[in-house]
Amino acid sequence: MKKFLVISGPNLNLLGTRKISIYKEGTLEEIHAKLRQKAIELGVEVDCRQFNSEGDIIDCMQQVPGTYAGVILNAGALAHYSYALRSAIGTMLVPCVEVFISNVHAREEFRHTSVLADVCVGVIAGFGGNSYVLALEALVNLVNP
Amino acid sequence: MGSAHIAVIHGPNLNMLGKREIGIYGGKTLDQINEEIRLEARVHDVDVDFFQSNVEGFIVDYIHGCAGRIQGIVINAGAYTHYSIALRDAIAAVRIPTIEVHISNIYKREPFRHVSFIAPVCKGQICGFGSYSYILGVRALLDVLAEEWLA
Repeated sequence: MKKFLVISGPNLNLLGTRKISIYKEGTLEEIHAKLRQKAIELGVEVDCRQFNSEGDIIDCMQQVPGTYAGVILNAGALAHYSYALRSAIGTMLVPCVEVFISNVHAREEFRHTSVLADVCVGVIAGFGGNSYVLALEALVNLVNP
Repeated sequence: MGSAHIAVIHGPNLNMLGKREIGIYGGKTLDQINEEIRLEARVHDVDVDFFQSNVEGFIVDYIHGCAGRIQGIVINAGAYTHYSIALRDAIAAVRIPTIEVHISNIYKREPFRHVSFIAPVCKGQICGFGSYSYILGVRALLDVLAEEWLA
């Protein structure tokens, strides 16, 4: 069974507890539960991880080759400036989809640029926790067309 | 959700799909893509209208005509995405939940395509998944509508 990795970056452990007007979803654990449910429907597996430290995300990404068929990445604020994550995406050798819970384009200007978007297959932003679910559908469609 | 009626709008040059720059946009024609969208809409028991125009003003007219008739829009505004303030104003004016989609990953392409004038008035953006971006756009839209109807 194909396995996909879901990585959430800094501050996403606080989902459901801060700025609820922007991040209207429930908790990250609720999003992970939705993803696991969708994975069962699609006949795949998901592993869900969250890290606040950039280096921990890189360590996690380096474990991807040979284990996972694709990665869903919500890098949080790191999306806008982490060239280290950008390089790490290149080392994974599998498709990566960038997701955001909020519509980053409707927010501060510094959030309009992602240094990761052009090394990802595609981007899904603005649909709350459903951004992750749509990304899983996108990845499964990509690897099992 | 049975009563939902949505519109899928395709902007300039998308009538040429399958006929130009197949490396970027894939080999499917617009009719084939619309058929895939129709099948997806049927799965969700939703009615879908399709509109394509190369003319910016006609797209503005069409969006205005959606008011009171259409509950949600999926739009691939093509190149107008990157400079049409008129389309942005039209979407904002009708206040119909709108999802922005692109066939290609616009962030892998020329810098002028990295900016979307319509993104701030859309619920969200999906790009890079070929014609499947539209299918994901329809699903995202129906989720947005379900949430609004529950609220």
